[in-house]
Amino acid sequence: MLTIKNLHANIGDNKILQGLDLTLEAGKVHVIMGPNGAGKSTLSKAIVGHYDVEVTEGSIDYKGKDIVKLPAEERALEGIFMSFQNPTEIPGVNNAYFLRTALNAKLKHEGKEELNAAEFLRVMREKLSSLEMKTDMLSRSLNEGFSGGEKKRNEILQMLILKPDVIILDEIDSGLDIDALKAVAEGINSMQDGKRTFLVITHYRRLLDYLTPDYIHVLKNGKILKTAGVELVDKLEEEGYDWIKAE
Amino acid sequence: MENNTLDKAVSADYQLGFEVDIETDTIEAGLDEETIRFISAKKEEPLWMLEIRLKAFKKWQKMSEPHWAHLNYEPIDYQSISYFSAPKNAPDSLDEVDPKILEAYKKLGIPLDEQKQLQGIAVDAVFDSVSVKTTYSEELQKHGVIFCSISEAIQDHPELVKKYMFSVVPMTDNYFAALNSAVFTDGTFVYIPKGVRCPMELSTYFRINALNTGQFERTLIIADEGSYVSYNEGCSAPTRDEHQLHAAVVELITMKDAEIKYSTIQNWYPGDEDGKGGIYNFVTKRGLCKGDNSKISWTQVETGSAITWKYPSCVLKGDNSVGEFYSVAVTTLAQQADTGTKMIHLGKNTSSTIVSKGISAMKGQNIYRGLVKVAKSATNARNHSECDSLLIGDQCGAHTFPYLESKDNQGQIEHEASTSKISDEQLFYLRQRGISEEDAVSMIVHGFCKEVFSQLPMEYAVEAKALLNLTLEGSVG
Amino acid sequence: MMKLTDLQNKLQNEFQIAESKSELVEKFLDLGLPNKKSEAYRYANMDKLFDQEFETLEYNAKELAYSDKILIVNGEVISMPKGIRVYYANTDEQNINLEHYDPLYFLGHLLSKKSIIIEIDGDSEVDILHRITKASTLIHYRIVIKTQVNKHASIYEHFEFDNAHESLLLYGYDVDVQKDSTLTFVKNQHSDEDAPTIIASHDIKVEKQASLTLQSFDFGNAPALQLFNIVLEEHAHVDMGQLLYLWGNVKRGTISKIIHRGESSHSVQEAKNILEGSARGIFDAIIKVEHSAKYTKTQQNSKTILLGEATYMVAKPQLEIYIDELEASHGSTIGQLDIEQLFYLRSRGITEVEARKLLIVAFANKLIGTIRDKRQEELINQNFEKAFYAQNQKTNLL
Repeated sequence: MLTIKNLHANIGDNKILQGLDLTLEAGKVHVIMGPNGAGKSTLSKAIVGHYDVEVTEGSIDYKGKDIVKLPAEERALEGIFMSFQNPTEIPGVNNAYFLRTALNAKLKHEGKEELNAAEFLRVMREKLSSLEMKTDMLSRSLNEGFSGGEKKRNEILQMLILKPDVIILDEIDSGLDIDALKAVAEGINSMQDGKRTFLVITHYRRLLDYLTPDYIHVLKNGKILKTAGVELVDKLEEEGYDWIKAE
Repeated sequence: MENNTLDKAVSADYQLGFEVDIETDTIEAGLDEETIRFISAKKEEPLWMLEIRLKAFKKWQKMSEPHWAHLNYEPIDYQSISYFSAPKNAPDSLDEVDPKILEAYKKLGIPLDEQKQLQGIAVDAVFDSVSVKTTYSEELQKHGVIFCSISEAIQDHPELVKKYMFSVVPMTDNYFAALNSAVFTDGTFVYIPKGVRCPMELSTYFRINALNTGQFERTLIIADEGSYVSYNEGCSAPTRDEHQLHAAVVELITMKDAEIKYSTIQNWYPGDEDGKGGIYNFVTKRGLCKGDNSKISWTQVETGSAITWKYPSCVLKGDNSVGEFYSVAVTTLAQQADTGTKMIHLGKNTSSTIVSKGISAMKGQNIYRGLVKVAKSATNARNHSECDSLLIGDQCGAHTFPYLESKDNQGQIEHEASTSKISDEQLFYLRQRGISEEDAVSMIVHGFCKEVFSQLPMEYAVEAKALLNLTLEGSVG
Repeated sequence: MMKLTDLQNKLQNEFQIAESKSELVEKFLDLGLPNKKSEAYRYANMDKLFDQEFETLEYNAKELAYSDKILIVNGEVISMPKGIRVYYANTDEQNINLEHYDPLYFLGHLLSKKSIIIEIDGDSEVDILHRITKASTLIHYRIVIKTQVNKHASIYEHFEFDNAHESLLLYGYDVDVQKDSTLTFVKNQHSDEDAPTIIASHDIKVEKQASLTLQSFDFGNAPALQLFNIVLEEHAHVDMGQLLYLWGNVKRGTISKIIHRGESSHSVQEAKNILEGSARGIFDAIIKVEHSAKYTKTQQNSKTILLGEATYMVAKPQLEIYIDELEASHGSTIGQLDIEQLFYLRSRGITEVEARKLLIVAFANKLIGTIRDKRQEELINQNFEKAFYAQNQKTNLL
């Protein structure tokens, strides 16, 4: 689905990723774990084309082409979605209007009919109730004044309606209480269809308990140093990352 | 974001720059007493009006052009302007309007024809120096509403004109108002009788067409006790290399319990990015809340003109009267706008609200200048002002000059302002969701202007949004 | 005896026939003595001052005595502390900022052929006391402050007036805050019936990575105006606080222009105004961000409480911005004490007068409390409370 080869990436003058290789398989849940500052967020930003990250070497192959030079919105339209750690607040931009614009951009890109307001609202109501979100959040400004939990649910809501192929969840579990965590996890699980790929970045196993990870990758010193099955999580929780050296 | 992308995104071509080839009656450029006598004679005005014009002209000659605004422009040669231009064959009914003029208004999307009239908006169309057509007058007459050109009002309602014209903006209020008083050629007159809620939106569309002409219209709206009217104006002009002068005066008067809502969508030709051509827009707009509990609300969307000098104001004389000013001003290319408002609190418990949104792009310079003045008599006055500026690109400027003066020790005045650019984070967030850069800019700008657009009547809000998109239109990098 | 309007006319006549023309004179004549139309002095309305006949004084440099502070009596330096160098030097036209907006800045330089130079070595604190003891007299001087690179200096300014009514004190500082250094400037000015009109016109340049704190505490009913022109270079920082507490029939306040010239420069300006009687407060402040000043941060705020029956506040916080990479905001409020807060205090058994005092002192303290030097803070606090009680006794509030 998505193949990263020898990726080198900087943020400002700091070299963060230094020859990272990673293959994301269709229909699988990949988990990235690693110490603070290892480059986990830089990796997700590099995949979606964030302006902070400068890729100096290497490639990210997706759907048959290298997307390193592709603008962010084209990557999004091709099906790459990232939930932000801190979703940006945009005052004055109505949430429903934003969601509909994003959804219609995607439908148009796929050569499908765009949704009118009524059809859109019907879709939204259904998704909102599945996330236990109040409908009034549609009429609020985008993320403005949302609580931490509301912001994360709003991210999942966008994922549900945009139906991306590659889903990157950057610390989606941070700042969530148990109920919110469950709702978010259910949202994620409902997207599993055997074809979509998930890249989950987290520090804790509690989210992983609700998901069914296929691979655990350890990112350290700007590289993937270890890849194993879900059993690795227990070991990491007990022993930390110090014992992991380059294989 | 790359600056050239932004420049493209904010420099769409002016869409209304066509010129209509019709036969006109245009006098030669130049201004002296004879010009004024000519205009007055053309309009078949009564002697009293001519005398007023001549008096204003004498005073104007002794005044000098003000230069306190934060504007740079070439000196205006008042002798090189033609002060009167009218389509030949003045029409009596819609059928008689020159089809080319109808065609022009059709291009502008202005409802002059029968079909558009079904939308229920009464329109007065002013083409160069004269009003070519006022729709719906008869329907309005049933309610006692007078909606006609100012020239007709001078003929048919001299008592109202004599009483109220110059009562809010005195003849010598300022240089441009004095010039207008001497040479105004047409404009709109509205009178809403006691207790009448005007059954439809009233609208005037101003078009400058002829070369080297100035447009000097004068609008007077009187809302008698307990009445309400919503009035809208729009404007455009052909693309030309020369600057053209527009110096209008608008006077509003509300009696006890009356309300006037005045909306403007200003889209005069802005000139090009080197400052060549474009309209010089020097306008005096003022409303007097004369009676208790009356209200005047100004909403403006200013996207056109090379130079804008305009401060729609409210004099809150009646107790409990309310003044409002909502403004979106966009300066791109080499446009300069020095605009804002004056809220003069005289009556007790008066309140005013100011919301100003300035957007500067390319080489545009956007200035908010506002005065909130609270007199000692205005016990318990309230004002809230909010002035935000958005900068797009690093060659433009945004300036905020609020003046607050209060003598009321029971009042509350608050002013807040911020200046920022479109943040990379916001832009990226939208792009990550698949929205193009251009649409993302437009979305953020619309969000920024939302509070003002929500004040416009529905039909005009749609027009204003479309206009903003056009102004910001371009392509994506 | 002299009149400033006469002086202006004389300069005008001389200038027309002069062979080599002084830029300083030209600049002054260009701007001219303030009148009703000049923007900067519009609200202060000082026209009469310029038509008034003043006595003038001769300044003679004397041997300086030592004391704990720099003492300047009627424009003459009398004494100074050890470790500080104070001397007179001819004013060099090169050092005059021709971009200054204030005509009286230029006039001050024209009148004062010599400037008082204060050299502060190393890290130190110095008190300056201005004492004025002459009535109907024009007293003028310019002070140049010289600090050192990477050092930290503090200047505390005080005033004493004895029978100085009908006089005009026209003075000001020329300061270059050196690279990497910090300068703290605290003005404590209580001026009433005995005081002259005071016009203080300053020109300040804050060099790279330097930091300036400017705090002024203006109390009284004698007319006064302080004018600042401040230029900020790269990473320079200025923090300004102005407290006005006025009564009587006075017009007084601050006019300032802060110019961000270097990248990443930072300014904060906070004005608090408390007006009693029929006092007029003025806050007329421009922050200009030039095209070269990317990543500027600036914040400007004016808050006013009108207490008297005939008070008048003029607030003009202005932003002039020529670059998009910045953070700029300003705000301004004019109002009175919050009735909910007053009620809350009263519902806890505090009298209305006491509650008002609590709220006013709390309002003033937001600035007084930021004075870093505890001795100065205490001094100004006492000054404020003394003035506050005096006023409220007069108006039978206490």
